[in-house]
Amino acid sequence: MTQVKNKKKMEKFDVISNAVIILFAVLNLFPLYWLFTSSLKNSSDVVKMPPDWWPKTFTLSNYVDIFRDQPALRWAFNSLYVSGISTILVIVFGSMAAYAFSKIDFKFKNIIYIIFISSLMIPKEIMIVPLFRIIQDFGMVNSYSGMIWPNVAAAFGVFLLKGFFDSTPNALREAARIDGAGEWKTFTRIMLPIVKPGLGALFILNFVQVWNDYLWQLVVGQDKSMKTLMVGTATLMQDLNPNFAYKMAGATVAAIPMLIIFLLFQRYFTSGMTAGAVKE
Amino acid sequence: MKIRNNFIKENITGYLFILPQMIVFLAFLVYPILEGIRLSMYRINYQNERFVGLDNYVSLFNDPVFFKALMNTVIFVVFIVILTVGFALFVASAVFDKNAKYVSFIRGSYYIPVMVSMVVMSMIWSFLLNPANGLISYFAKDMGMGTFNLLGNKTTVLPIIIFVTFATNVGQAIILYIAAMIGVPKDLFEAAEIDGANRWQVIRKILIPSVSSTTVYISIINIIAVLKIFVVIQLLTGGGPNNSSVTLMYYLYNNAFKYNQLGTASAVGVIMFVITLVLSVPQLRSIIKAK
Repeated sequence: MTQVKNKKKMEKFDVISNAVIILFAVLNLFPLYWLFTSSLKNSSDVVKMPPDWWPKTFTLSNYVDIFRDQPALRWAFNSLYVSGISTILVIVFGSMAAYAFSKIDFKFKNIIYIIFISSLMIPKEIMIVPLFRIIQDFGMVNSYSGMIWPNVAAAFGVFLLKGFFDSTPNALREAARIDGAGEWKTFTRIMLPIVKPGLGALFILNFVQVWNDYLWQLVVGQDKSMKTLMVGTATLMQDLNPNFAYKMAGATVAAIPMLIIFLLFQRYFTSGMTAGAVKE
Repeated sequence: MKIRNNFIKENITGYLFILPQMIVFLAFLVYPILEGIRLSMYRINYQNERFVGLDNYVSLFNDPVFFKALMNTVIFVVFIVILTVGFALFVASAVFDKNAKYVSFIRGSYYIPVMVSMVVMSMIWSFLLNPANGLISYFAKDMGMGTFNLLGNKTTVLPIIIFVTFATNVGQAIILYIAAMIGVPKDLFEAAEIDGANRWQVIRKILIPSVSSTTVYISIINIIAVLKIFVVIQLLTGGGPNNSSVTLMYYLYNNAFKYNQLGTASAVGVIMFVITLVLSVPQLRSIIKAK
């Protein structure tokens, strides 16, 4: 058996495919390049034809304008707060429920779980009218809680974490119980640390999802000071300032936090997303 | 006695653990759905509610704009999902067995637009496509195609939106496919190699069938994501020109928050809810079966 002979040459088909893929990848990133360089041009250079592929004179004035004319920092803080608190609540409530569904025997648990996960695919946006009326009744229009609670309702966290709890051995919980640990202690001291990778993946995925959410935040945060970064940035499109470089600077400010998160936590995205997909 | 006590205790503990999630779930998901169904049968004027039965649905089906919205949404779903699945399969099958650095480069470059969000990407595209001073219009003029107003033209506006949405979101499908393909057992490929299969045959006969459950998953999450397509419409076209790019979600939003037609908007929501529910059945079934 001389199986391990010369390393196999790439087939022509494979080479062409990969060349096409690299080309598209670069084209796909081009709009972001254009966004970033445009934001550094002055208001006349940005609309110049033929265009400058690289800014001739660099200016940061568009960024200065964004932070001076718009409460951009406040928007960023709003986004951070809403995404952060939503995600913490999703993790706390979701991990408790997921643990119960995975390890504790109680009546009707299968039926309740199925009802929970049948909500997974329902976007909250389609129920925006009744949801908005509820928020109104609670006096939560223009408030953080109005933006936060509907994000916690979907059972995605429960679904994702249950998978992680299911793969932990039952014996661990039984041993802790025999040692006299109560259920809560078993959960917080023994089980939660084991599913840490799951919590990490859920944190990243949920945080980014809420951060990039738009429609619900648009409806709830009506005052200028209560807008989130995405909603606030989008208002620049209707802004009286006609300078395109200014709008692109705003969009860059909105893009940068998530770019950083992605570069730092890339592996969590893969593990989190695949944990959400079902394999047979 | 002891066993019975334990049983009750276990039950109570279980319910206490799911209680917080349950309350939020009931208050902000189940109740809005029921309330939405109820509201869809009322004519609502601020505090005044008048029961009108199915009138809102009847008037929807008599509104040409609603039909346009429904048609456009269907067109978007079909084309975007086919493009996404097709292109993601192509990319993932070509790169999944290459070295890790390369895989991570490809994954990253296609996923970055997903990360920076539809809002930001829509803003860039609106600049690129701007008829007066966008880069794309410049190229068109340069090549002698005259003034280009792709978003202001009824025949080009839909393809442009399809392309922008597809290009922004395909990264997610690529990540999922690459992960699934890396998980396909190696001996399948080795066996095929011994039989002298070329790469195209391996992809078609082994790889694609092996990731079929991922294909179902990707299709469903993308169908549902496109069903509620909104940002790109609001920022690029505002539903225009002349309602030619209006979608269900945009129609719902306008009825609710611009024209104050809450009953009609709720009816659109209920219709979308039913569509979502029907579409998610296969996925739910596989989750339940997997238990």
